[in-house]
Amino acid sequence: MDLFLSALFSGFARGSLYALVALGLVLVWRGAGIINFAQMGQAMFSTYIASTLIMNGQSYWVAFFIALISGALLGALVDLIVMRPLSRKRRSEALNSPSMRATIPVIASLGILGLLQALAGMFWAGEERGFQTPVANEGLTIASRVMPFTLFDIFIISIVAVVLLLTTVFFTKTGMGLAMRASALNQEVARLSGIRTSTVRTLSWAISGIASSLAGLLITPTSNLSPNTLDLALIIGFTAAVVGGLDSLPGSVLGGFIVGLVISFVTFYRSPEDVFLAILALLLLVLILRPSGLLGSKEVRRV
Amino acid sequence: MSKRKSIARTSAIKTLLFITAIFFLGRIFDPYNQGQLAVVLMLFIAVLSITLLTGSSGQISLGQGALMAVGGYAMALLVLNAGLDLWLGVLLSIVASSLAGLFLGIAAARLSGPYLAGTTLVVALAIPTLANRFESVLAGDLGLIIDFGATPAWVTEIFGELGYEQWQLYFVLPFAGLALFLALNIFGSRIGRSWRALRDHEIAASLMGIESSKTRILVFVVSSGFAGLAGALYGLRGIVGPSVYPVSLSLTLLTAAILGGIRSIGGAFIGSVLVVFLPDWIESLTGGFELSPQISDYLPAVVSGILLIATVVINPAGVAGGLAHKKHH
Repeated sequence: MDLFLSALFSGFARGSLYALVALGLVLVWRGAGIINFAQMGQAMFSTYIASTLIMNGQSYWVAFFIALISGALLGALVDLIVMRPLSRKRRSEALNSPSMRATIPVIASLGILGLLQALAGMFWAGEERGFQTPVANEGLTIASRVMPFTLFDIFIISIVAVVLLLTTVFFTKTGMGLAMRASALNQEVARLSGIRTSTVRTLSWAISGIASSLAGLLITPTSNLSPNTLDLALIIGFTAAVVGGLDSLPGSVLGGFIVGLVISFVTFYRSPEDVFLAILALLLLVLILRPSGLLGSKEVRRV
Repeated sequence: MSKRKSIARTSAIKTLLFITAIFFLGRIFDPYNQGQLAVVLMLFIAVLSITLLTGSSGQISLGQGALMAVGGYAMALLVLNAGLDLWLGVLLSIVASSLAGLFLGIAAARLSGPYLAGTTLVVALAIPTLANRFESVLAGDLGLIIDFGATPAWVTEIFGELGYEQWQLYFVLPFAGLALFLALNIFGSRIGRSWRALRDHEIAASLMGIESSKTRILVFVVSSGFAGLAGALYGLRGIVGPSVYPVSLSLTLLTAAILGGIRSIGGAFIGSVLVVFLPDWIESLTGGFELSPQISDYLPAVVSGILLIATVVINPAGVAGGLAHKKHH
């Protein structure tokens, strides 16, 4: 029973982190029609910035917020320097078909990932370093009984809940949020009704950068920080996004929890090494049975 | 009929020229560069698999490194456990990886763009973990050790005494020639045209009678065969293990394909030369400066990352595409 509860709680804690990663992917996918494979590279970079600040004597929370801001800046820069110029290159011979227009940005984002990882190695050396948690990460003791979850787990779940709440308010109540949803629905119509679609697009890159940096800050205490540690989070986040439906924000949260629970139960009941195969099986299952994901809209292929 | 013959003939002539050129380079180069050139040829075959898959049919795979691993392990198991000759092991590895490509292709036929990229990336991560899952056969993280052996007597009789790297280069050369010949034929033939039609306009292509999902699967099978061959040859350098075929290998292959020119066979070769020799060139350029190892270790990766991004943003058609563009004017 204890094993079951541990798996359940750890699944929810992990799941909320993967929900964040998936949220970041879905935001950019809706805003720009691109899966940003560099996302967790950007998160890794801003987590390194936070780690360096803490090592130089700054408090955790100062470092935390600077990391979120740098995550937003990095996201915006990726759009401004690479993706926006690329979207204007439609006349190039290599980009004159829909399939290549879908493929080339993927390769560009992989290039950014490679570059960020190499730069991180250059700036901060390649070796792993630990990253601290803001609260204790040991089994919580209530009434002299060790609980199957830690204070950090509770912290993660609540901070992610707050973020999801803020995101929902942003997208339903604010003008900018509505503009983003409108442009995700139909670029052309949004532009005709006076929305600056390119600004909106850059904004979705920036918000996605914040979400993924937050995920990076909360994942690295358990996985350690090195240029490659967050690659796995990207893959899992991608799976979560596909499970929930790539174009659905609530779907990304649902997908995150599903994937988190699957991984947690596989880790607790079988072995951590089976996680990859479990993810692959889950991904293929969803793609075969319901390619648009649980909450996604039916139209899968964007052209 | 005569057109088909002429494609086969020009392909054969080009391939012979290629083999002759590499053969003589192998005579001139020092052992270190002979080894590097052998790696160029191995990667060339792997990059051709991307040129066929992405350049001509518009599909993307981030799992080519994993397919190389399939080829490598197949070769290693056949040679070590079934006692096959190296040549035969390498040839049969093509069958194994094509089979893997068939499964991947069936799963991938209904996917496109980012879905395909993400799924193949998960495959790329999942397949190497099989090495630990079946540790008794696949030897886990350590990998299987392949003994490339000494130059056989009949080779020494024809070509004289060959160094280790030189023999490795000349072993790889006929396979690279075979891959080049096949790729040239596919590009020039009806099959290649149907792949390109599918890439450029799926609906129009299917109206012309091209069965899109069958064709997509065929592309995956052929491309995987190339990747597996490259992987088997790559394993001949000594070890077949998860660390030899990391996920970053797939990224290196994509970088080579894009830098050289994603749509051109010549581009695949240019790209392979670039990624293999780039670290050496950077080292010779920065040799005069006192760089800390932390910087010099990561400099090649930084430069190739910047080159990849710049190519995609400025000239997505790559080096070969740029040259072709000039020729038109």
